[in-house]
Amino acid sequence: MMSPALFLLALITLVPFFSIIWMSFNDVSLMGGLAFEFSGLDNWQRVFTDPDIRSSWLISLVYFLATVGLEMVIGTVMALLVYSLTRGSNIIISLLLIPMFIAPVIVGLLGRFMLDPSHGLYAWMLNESGLFDGNILGSVGSAMVAVILMDVWEWTPLVALIVLAGLTSVPEDVLEAAEMDGARYGQKLLYIILPSISNILLVALLIRAMDAIRFFAIIFITTNGGPADSTKIIPIRLYDIAFRFFDLGYAAAVGITMLVFSIMVATAFTKLLKRQEKAS
Amino acid sequence: MTQFKRRDILKGIGGLAGLSLMGAGSLRTALAQGMASDEAWKQASGTTIQFISENTPPTTAIAANLASFQELTGITVNITEMQLGALVQKVALDFGAGRSSFDVIYADPYQVLAPYHRGLVDLNRFINDDQQPVVPKGIEDFIPTQLAAAGRFEDRESLYTLPYDCPTMIWIYRRDLFEKYRDQMRQDLGFDPMPSDSTTWEQYYQIAEWFSNGNASEVKYGTGHQAQQYDSLMCDFSNVLFAYGGDYFANGQQVGLLGTDAPGACQLTSDAALEAARFYQNLLKVAHPGSTSWDWTGVANAFQNGEFAMMPEWHEFAGSLESSDLQGKIGYAPLPKGPARSSNLWGGTGIGINANASAEKQKAAWLFLVWATSPQTQLMGLKSTVGGGTPTRQSVYDMPEVKAASTPPTDMPNMLTADTMLTAWQDDYIGLRPKIAQWNEVDTVIFTELSKMLAGQMSPEETMQSAKQRIDRIVGA
Repeated sequence: MMSPALFLLALITLVPFFSIIWMSFNDVSLMGGLAFEFSGLDNWQRVFTDPDIRSSWLISLVYFLATVGLEMVIGTVMALLVYSLTRGSNIIISLLLIPMFIAPVIVGLLGRFMLDPSHGLYAWMLNESGLFDGNILGSVGSAMVAVILMDVWEWTPLVALIVLAGLTSVPEDVLEAAEMDGARYGQKLLYIILPSISNILLVALLIRAMDAIRFFAIIFITTNGGPADSTKIIPIRLYDIAFRFFDLGYAAAVGITMLVFSIMVATAFTKLLKRQEKAS
Repeated sequence: MTQFKRRDILKGIGGLAGLSLMGAGSLRTALAQGMASDEAWKQASGTTIQFISENTPPTTAIAANLASFQELTGITVNITEMQLGALVQKVALDFGAGRSSFDVIYADPYQVLAPYHRGLVDLNRFINDDQQPVVPKGIEDFIPTQLAAAGRFEDRESLYTLPYDCPTMIWIYRRDLFEKYRDQMRQDLGFDPMPSDSTTWEQYYQIAEWFSNGNASEVKYGTGHQAQQYDSLMCDFSNVLFAYGGDYFANGQQVGLLGTDAPGACQLTSDAALEAARFYQNLLKVAHPGSTSWDWTGVANAFQNGEFAMMPEWHEFAGSLESSDLQGKIGYAPLPKGPARSSNLWGGTGIGINANASAEKQKAAWLFLVWATSPQTQLMGLKSTVGGGTPTRQSVYDMPEVKAASTPPTDMPNMLTADTMLTAWQDDYIGLRPKIAQWNEVDTVIFTELSKMLAGQMSPEETMQSAKQRIDRIVGA
């Protein structure tokens, strides 16, 4: 019964997959119909020797660690705070979740508007408070911080929601017993709550990590990779190569390296999850 | 805080407003009298064609008046509007698939015409066909530099598009402030600050610095620029580069006008180019600090918000600016001159026909091209309340009502720039970026390296050297 569906699934995933692998060994021309000219390992050699690609991977790594790290920490703290509420938690959760229902493109547009040096509210507030008087999206360091914070603002609620779901599985009787034994909140958090939700934390981490690798819209809208390439993460570079330069063979090679990286990250998290399960 | 959304909002109610401007019947009569018989216009009746265009004011006006074209020809035109980057992707993939999802193509000279001109029909086939309506007033009526830059590639024989829009960078300034502080500036700076044929970029810098030093309470800075790491930065810099006598490639004006498949080695390390880079770096130091995060829309918004006194900007923003609080307070002039000349970067586009389209659709597409670029339709666009760019034909500028509209008050605000534009499009004034197949990649190198220079990561010399190395690798020089 499943064969037709499986066949269809294979057709729409495997054919493009193998096509992209084949494209990465070719120069691809679009004029006069799609044409392939075998170029051997040229595209792959470029991937590993192109300083721009290396630079974009480095920026991506910084971006990846900053966004995922901040989202995990802030999301967990938010979830713990909401979980500790005795009243009004439903309203608070609803309000907290609003950012993640906004399309990333809109978040980018909002960010660009709020940070505009001539009329942006945040730019004005930072300037008036003396914290920052430069051009936020037009300066090298601050542009990166800004796009990281936009992503954190949008996706931290997702982490909070996942962790909140995990917190319901923390055994109440163990917490009560610890309380009767005089355990402080920090001790309960460290020895009971966090170990109990470690699996769910890993799931949240995996979801956000996968998203962060292919992050695109906010940077595309706000800085387009600038200034001075300081926010040109690898998906933005890939977009340029594929859809502005139409160097599709090279783009295929770069895309496959992104895929391999994603698989490596996913595999690492899955192994960690399995290890956790065995331990528990 | 007003944003440039006027056209977007009005677009939705465009159809009715546009038709009320020029009734379908009167347009039909004008075209039929001026071009050919009704039969010629009806030859592709019943055909449906697809037109893909950047979401620009002329297309907004065209979309609002399609009913008149349909009545004239019996042809249905479906218009798909989008940002230029997305348009280029769709057109490239369409060519790659050997299809004609789009029959009429908004063919940007650099991103579509140069790399894909073989996918477009040579329009001489229709121009020389007695069975087709003639191009009203002939193709000679199009501004010559625009016809070559938008329509031709490599030679002066083939013609792939008809000039459709013509945004060009000019000097837009607060005339009210320049008049108010004219005497004081003349005294402080030692020259008349009012923009003129003799104003230089060095003087532009001094005027900018004068305003930025707090001499006028109305604005915070003297100048603003579209210096975001984006195509806009290349445009902004190119004006200075050409004015200083530099260029991207040897024989640059020819490479810009007709284009080439083999541009040769990049010329950005020439003395003139280095001097231009040094000047541009200094200019941006006295410019509004927001400049490095603004594209053309961003800098226009900031100008409208009273942040600075002048800017190099696309002339078609005049329509929006003249609808704002700044109405009547703005002046327009060709950009200052450098040691070589005044250069005003042209960013126009033509519309062409997909060679993969069927013969019937190509005929229908040709009728649409003739209609959409006709003087009558361009006049309609000028009057349109939903959009409309500026004409690409000399005869439209010669019309008495258009001439009258070049002085305020006017119901055709873009025409306030007419005198400036007719100067800016002359051979000696127009600035043309290289029309080469690899332009997108070259463009990216230019604005990325310039962005590094403006961020203080590289000196002008290092910037030009690095850009040259990269560009030479791209073009195979």
